[in-house]
Amino acid sequence: MSNETNIATDVIQVSHLKVSFLDNHVLKDFTIQLKQGENLIILGASGSGKSVLIKCIIGLMVADSGSIKVFGDEVTELTPEELNKMRAKVGFLFQSNALYDSMTIRENLRFPLIRHWVKNVRETAEELVMEALTNVGLEDTADKFPSELSGGMQKRIALARTLILKPQVILYDEPTAGLDPITGKEICQLMLELQKKYHTSSIIITHDLNCVKIMASRIVMLIDGICYATGTFEELKQLKDKRVTDFFD
Amino acid sequence: MKPISQSTFLLEIGDLYLFSLRFFKEVFKPRYEFAELIKQCFYIGYKTVPLVAITGFIMGLVITIQSHPSMEAFGAESWLPSVVSVSLVREIVPVITALICAGKIGSSIGAEIGSMSVSEQINAMEVSGANPFKYLVVTRVIASMLMVPLLVVISDTIGLYGAFLGVNMKQVISFHLFTNQVFLKLTFQDIIPSIIKSFFFGFAIGIIGCFKGYNTKNGTRGVGSTANSAVVASIFAVFVIDLMAAQIADILHLN
Repeated sequence: MSNETNIATDVIQVSHLKVSFLDNHVLKDFTIQLKQGENLIILGASGSGKSVLIKCIIGLMVADSGSIKVFGDEVTELTPEELNKMRAKVGFLFQSNALYDSMTIRENLRFPLIRHWVKNVRETAEELVMEALTNVGLEDTADKFPSELSGGMQKRIALARTLILKPQVILYDEPTAGLDPITGKEICQLMLELQKKYHTSSIIITHDLNCVKIMASRIVMLIDGICYATGTFEELKQLKDKRVTDFFD
Repeated sequence: MKPISQSTFLLEIGDLYLFSLRFFKEVFKPRYEFAELIKQCFYIGYKTVPLVAITGFIMGLVITIQSHPSMEAFGAESWLPSVVSVSLVREIVPVITALICAGKIGSSIGAEIGSMSVSEQINAMEVSGANPFKYLVVTRVIASMLMVPLLVVISDTIGLYGAFLGVNMKQVISFHLFTNQVFLKLTFQDIIPSIIKSFFFGFAIGIIGCFKGYNTKNGTRGVGSTANSAVVASIFAVFVIDLMAAQIADILHLN
């Protein structure tokens, strides 16, 4: 594949990324590409820097060195306004859902619409909120507060909020963490369904093998701060390397 | 709670200074969060009125009752309204109101922003295109700066009414005469400095609560210690500002 084609199809390019916290070198020389329409799973032990990686991509954290390009733009060189424009195209689903406790579900969903000032937001916000809630099957929760919903429902609402701006890329930080296996599977199927509907690309951080099986186009193993191995679920499972196969046992 | 070392204390003062500088940089920059500011004024101001009103009333009443025997011994009972009103308006009501606000507002701001911080809601706001510093910090600090002086004025008024009732417990005096005696000594030189210093009390309470909340770590356990340390630091700041205000008023011959 030529370089030109790569530029056209890679929506995110992370090259030689280094991040450390004092003496703890979390990411040492990490390089990955996310292609258009791909679901890239990042597997790695707790504390291996998976969440740090996606926080660097969205501009919530700054890397020590290396390059992060989102839609061809170097994230570290973006002005705050440009960063906000980029964030409108890149959704982020937080591990803890991060729904605003003091706001109703409707207000939670309206928040990114108003902040990113979507065209004709005042007229269309209600319609977009109801569309997002319908997508996740929770139309009747608009006037409830997050604390009134179960963990699975909160995750769905968080997913609805992530999707309300119709992003082209979604970064998922452990989307099934804290959920029972059945609800976790439902959330993954919903993610896949919505991905097909909106033609998004995703980077998914998870430890949940069910989620990996459902979602993965490609898997990257993040071990010792580098891209240790990459391949499909079956390819990685058949590797002889114990550090890789431990994740699949 | 772990004891704070000297270097940690100084580092925290430095961080608070930088946090305050950021506040002054952000406060004039658009976009202005008026809706959130009004909401915070409602929570910080309106919801605190009953508490400061009752406290102000009790302060007025108690100071009058306790001052009465001494004033009577000197044969200066008629001076009671003047003396009590000056001490209430200049010192007691602003400081007591600020201490109540430090407890109520400082802890609630610290705990609210702290829990938002540990549950990644602040990050979520940033990803959603908002400036969380403007949305959370600037609105709360301004609301606190506007509402604390207002609460002081309300508490002053109710405190003076408490003083009127206190005076009437031992002697009979009309409200008209009481008011005349109050304003014989109480002037704008007493009222204005007390309102000005309460702006600073409001700023200190708001900025410390936000600073502590914004820097919360260690999950829900951290939220508890944030609320606690926000109150302690705010109370300390109120006394330091009060001391500075007294010195400045003295230099400017406002005493």
